[in-house]
Amino acid sequence: MPEISYLEAIRQALWQEMKRDERVFLLGEDIGRYGGAFGMTHGMLDEFGPERVRETPISEATIVAAAIGASLLGMRPVAELMFMDFVFLALDQIVNQAAKMHFMFGGRTNVPIVIRMPGGSGSGAAAQHSQSLESTLMHFPGLKVINPSTPYDAKGLMLAAIRDPNPVCFVEHKALYKTKGEVPEGDYTIPIGVAEIKRPGRDITVVANNIMVIKTLAVAERLAKDGIEVEVIDPRTMLPLDTETIINSVRRTGRLLVVHEACQTGGWAGEVIASVAGSPAFDYIDAPMRRLGGKDIPIPYNRGLEKIAIPQDFEIEQEIRAMVEGKR
Amino acid sequence: MPVPFIMPKFDMDQEKATIISWSKKEGDVVKADETILTVETEKVAIDVPCPESGTLAGILYKDGDVVPVTEVIAYILKQGETLADLPKAGLPTPPPKPEPFDDAQGRAVPVSQAVAAPQAAPVSATPVAVRMAKEEGVDLSKVPASGDKITKEDVERYVESQKPAGRVTVPATPAARRVARESGVALEAVAGSGPGGRVLSADVLATAKPVPASTVTNGNGRESEVVPLTSIRRTIAQRMQQSFQESPHIALTVEVDMTEAENARKRFNLQAEKLGQPKITVTALMIKVVAWALVRNPYINASFNGDSISLWKDVNIGVATAVSQGLVVPVLKGADHLGVSEINMRLIDLADRARENKLKLEDVQGGTFTISNLGMFGIRQFRAVINPPESAILAVGSVVRKPIVVDDQDRVEVRPMMSLTLSADHRVIDGVVAARFLSDLVTGIEAPNMLLF
Repeated sequence: MPEISYLEAIRQALWQEMKRDERVFLLGEDIGRYGGAFGMTHGMLDEFGPERVRETPISEATIVAAAIGASLLGMRPVAELMFMDFVFLALDQIVNQAAKMHFMFGGRTNVPIVIRMPGGSGSGAAAQHSQSLESTLMHFPGLKVINPSTPYDAKGLMLAAIRDPNPVCFVEHKALYKTKGEVPEGDYTIPIGVAEIKRPGRDITVVANNIMVIKTLAVAERLAKDGIEVEVIDPRTMLPLDTETIINSVRRTGRLLVVHEACQTGGWAGEVIASVAGSPAFDYIDAPMRRLGGKDIPIPYNRGLEKIAIPQDFEIEQEIRAMVEGKR
Repeated sequence: MPVPFIMPKFDMDQEKATIISWSKKEGDVVKADETILTVETEKVAIDVPCPESGTLAGILYKDGDVVPVTEVIAYILKQGETLADLPKAGLPTPPPKPEPFDDAQGRAVPVSQAVAAPQAAPVSATPVAVRMAKEEGVDLSKVPASGDKITKEDVERYVESQKPAGRVTVPATPAARRVARESGVALEAVAGSGPGGRVLSADVLATAKPVPASTVTNGNGRESEVVPLTSIRRTIAQRMQQSFQESPHIALTVEVDMTEAENARKRFNLQAEKLGQPKITVTALMIKVVAWALVRNPYINASFNGDSISLWKDVNIGVATAVSQGLVVPVLKGADHLGVSEINMRLIDLADRARENKLKLEDVQGGTFTISNLGMFGIRQFRAVINPPESAILAVGSVVRKPIVVDDQDRVEVRPMMSLTLSADHRVIDGVVAARFLSDLVTGIEAPNMLLF
């Protein structure tokens, strides 16, 4: 299987799906000749032409509104918001229109759009270009929110997202774009709403998303040498959240830590912990359930501060060690 | 209305008490503050005074019953009241319902009658407290005020104090509680190995191991008498197991020449006799020297908190004392500030009351160090198990006359020798620290004058 980057995997999905389905088209700022801020659409204007790779004015509301309109007429638009932080400008379109139309029109219409949005810190882009806002989007029924951590998941979930009849927010992490992994060249999808156990373990369940999956897996590898077996769960889809996989895991391990880059307060870790606390897994919990989120501060521009504003490997390791203390 | 008499709560974490005996019986006339029954908690036996004068009636629990604290155990009838005034089935009286302003026929009830609420005296309370009391069905006149008005906090405290006991206050994880429930293990009996003594599921599983068949009567042809645990035995078992499992014990032994200590004791006794005081015991002298050495070695007078160590300012020395039901450790408070004679008299008082089962809770609490002496049984040397949350315990052996080398010329003399073994929690006390303490102890015993230095 060829090894390609996370960015390349998403690009491959878009490319292949545009080849397969002529209803699919792209729209966004600077996605044509420039190839997108991160190079995601590089070469696609030449391949598919300006009809299907559409440059838009600098207006996120317009981008999403146009996508919604096109989808209502049978198209499968994939919109790009240059940075996830700009999603607020389009939230009325996403939340009040896209997410609700299917329900308000009695199921007689669908809004099959995908809104791609690169989030996360690590690129030195400061507070207005570095946020992790998936928790915000999880609050709106009618939306689906996808947040892959590996190239393999990214391609399979992108193909599933485009084919899904609902509006899907596809959250990418900028710091993952260059990470590599094995990705099949052919067509495959990963079901939306299904978590994956990235590493099985008996001592503690750690639920993490996007880049925190990668960090936690590295920590788990180290801890295994000390005999601590960490089970790492990647929800992959934030909405709908696969709580069943998490609950079943906690029943086995008796311990739960949730790690995310998003600010801790109001972050989705609270949602996961509340779901487990109220589930049959409660009677199996053998240590206080904990969360490790980003600091409750705007992401700093300073490189050093930017790094420590989000959970670091050693912090994840400390949390896990403290939680499994007394277990064996 | 008859005054309900509840099982009092003597200790912060106490949940129940066993009635040892009623000293008054049904129908007896009782006076406020006189003892009407004796109860046993996990730590001591306590005489319970009568809350009110009147007639004892409606006794709900008999000798030997285990009663949750705050449970009504009897009533005191006031003059003119009879057994018929008692609430049915001995249930605690529900708070009286507020009288309706209108009766069923819609006739107005006179206001004077309507407001004849069961409030004895006019109560001054904040509006929030009044609303809360109404919601909780609390009679405000029963709520003690912390300031000049009854506040919301006062009502909260009162409501909390009225809640029936029975909720387990042991820190334990949900999983530990489930395993305890399934295996019939009392969480209170499990020593928690988690942070802050939290009971984990593994701790319960370790406790829940099946009882070996040999302890069961007629298990496989073998017979035994099965003795149920008294609460004092249960407490000893739990605390000793917890101590031995949790704290890594190290033990150091020294031999000490008792010649000078014996001489000092003889001189003290002459003085005591003149003053008409009881004879000074070896233990009293030991406590004096130990207290002196503890002040010089603060880490021996300490507690381990998991993430810190408390070095106690007070020197409170417990003396392990055998009683008929087992072992109690009455505590001599502030031993470093007392003279030998005062220590001796307090010790005699504590030992007497321990034997008579009359120790109060405060007599057995707050210890920072323990001395255990088995010398009177001819035990030369032994190791004791630390009494948590203390960090060390001194085991005192018998005084034995034996020949020892007393100087550089290898001269041998017969001297009264005694061995001292310090068990120390290595989490707090390293070998050298323990050794320094013992060395100070030897100095103090072999040259009691040093205590004046």
